[in-house]
Amino acid sequence: MNIIDFVNVSLTMPRTKRRKGSGRKQRLRRFAGETSRSMVPVIEDVSFTVNKGDSVAIVSGKPILRTALVRLAAGTLIPDTGTVTRLASVVPMISIARAMGPTFTVRQNAYLVGGLLGMKPGELAEKLPGIIEFADLGNYLDRHLNGAPSSTRQRLAWSIAMAVDADVYAIDQTLVVGELEFRQKCWSAVDKLRENGATFLISSDGAKQYRRFCDRGLYFEQGALIADTTVPEALALARKARREPRGE
Amino acid sequence: MLVLRDLQKKYTKFRLGYLWSLLEPLGMSLVLWLVFSVLLGERALGLSPYLLFLSVAILPWWWFTKCVNASTKIFRRSRGELAFATLPPQIWVMRTVLSSSVEFVFSLPVIVLAVALTQDLPGMYFLFFPIAILLQFLLLYGVGLLVSSLSIVIPDLARVVKIVLRAMFYLSPILYSISNIPQSLHTIAAINPLVGILGLYRIGWWPEEHTSMAALVISLSVAAGLFIAGIYTFHRLKPRLLKEA
Repeated sequence: MNIIDFVNVSLTMPRTKRRKGSGRKQRLRRFAGETSRSMVPVIEDVSFTVNKGDSVAIVSGKPILRTALVRLAAGTLIPDTGTVTRLASVVPMISIARAMGPTFTVRQNAYLVGGLLGMKPGELAEKLPGIIEFADLGNYLDRHLNGAPSSTRQRLAWSIAMAVDADVYAIDQTLVVGELEFRQKCWSAVDKLRENGATFLISSDGAKQYRRFCDRGLYFEQGALIADTTVPEALALARKARREPRGE
Repeated sequence: MLVLRDLQKKYTKFRLGYLWSLLEPLGMSLVLWLVFSVLLGERALGLSPYLLFLSVAILPWWWFTKCVNASTKIFRRSRGELAFATLPPQIWVMRTVLSSSVEFVFSLPVIVLAVALTQDLPGMYFLFFPIAILLQFLLLYGVGLLVSSLSIVIPDLARVVKIVLRAMFYLSPILYSISNIPQSLHTIAAINPLVGILGLYRIGWWPEEHTSMAALVISLSVAAGLFIAGIYTFHRLKPRLLKEA
């Protein structure tokens, strides 16, 4: 049963990298007619389907492509051409920790982030004890976030996202958080969700997580889908591409 | 939820907290009243009692400017949030409009105070006051959608908006009454959507503020046009907006 359908999806994104130079230099450049926000093609004519229960690894050398794919799957980006059809609810786990306010307490942040992920306040109130227990933040519940250890943000983000009832979890780079103990907790949580039939879409830097969690690998090169195979094969392709410089 | 956080963020910084949403408009209307009524003497600007006349229009005006100014920054500040939030992005505009509305409602006691000071109770047409609030809310939502989405594509818009707002302050009957404008210009003045709405605010105390039905209709239809334009523009620019966030 297919859950997410990508049909001929293409996407351009504004260039994210900032040019070097002081503010004055940048202003001069703009004055000279350089448009600072040029669009870069990121994804070109990609089609694939994600089936229920799949655990898909997005293998690509470009972080922006991985993030864009995760966001497209979650519906927080709209493709330029082509369509993305979702038949299930998707939780995007993308830079959640960045949205937290340092002047709010942990509890307030939990409500804020949970609300942004589409949970109702009543639902959150029910799940809050579970979230806090998972993140092991009982001591910090009513303390400001900037007074708590820096790993708190990541832990909290992770715990909230895991608490959302969804069929698909789209994870971008946040798979490994915190110290060893918490990491193992996260992994066992992911395994449990997978046993229950949840679908995962994972984008990450390290090959280790792919091997552990994914049973399907999508390898992208130059914005196009090159191979839809198993994880070791996709990783092998990526390694090969890295060894051979482009344009050979 | 977001609205609550917004307000919390804003007020925890100051010692007087929520009192500021009362004191700020009060202080400002006092200053303007001093300048235009006491210092300039018996000029035929506006209607009497001038303090009340001023505060009835200036509070909605501040609501308008604050909200429009804030909406130029909505999607610049919410970076990161849009990347993972499964809510429709219109919510961010609604949040800004709502939190500024809450501030406006909190500042309403200033009008009550002005009424108490001047002993001038409104008449039956006061019924239009809440209607004016509702209309302005809808207008702000439309303008907010328009400005917030356009300012992503054109970053310079924030500056332009500031100038336009300043111009509108003098072009709208805030310091003066609509009856201070020559009769022949009334139809042109009515193109400004605020003219109609501010008139509705004042009509309870000064029935003569309402000049003609036609002017009101023009004013409100411009507001409706802005509302529709806002929704349309936002819808068109949504993919672009999500990319930038």
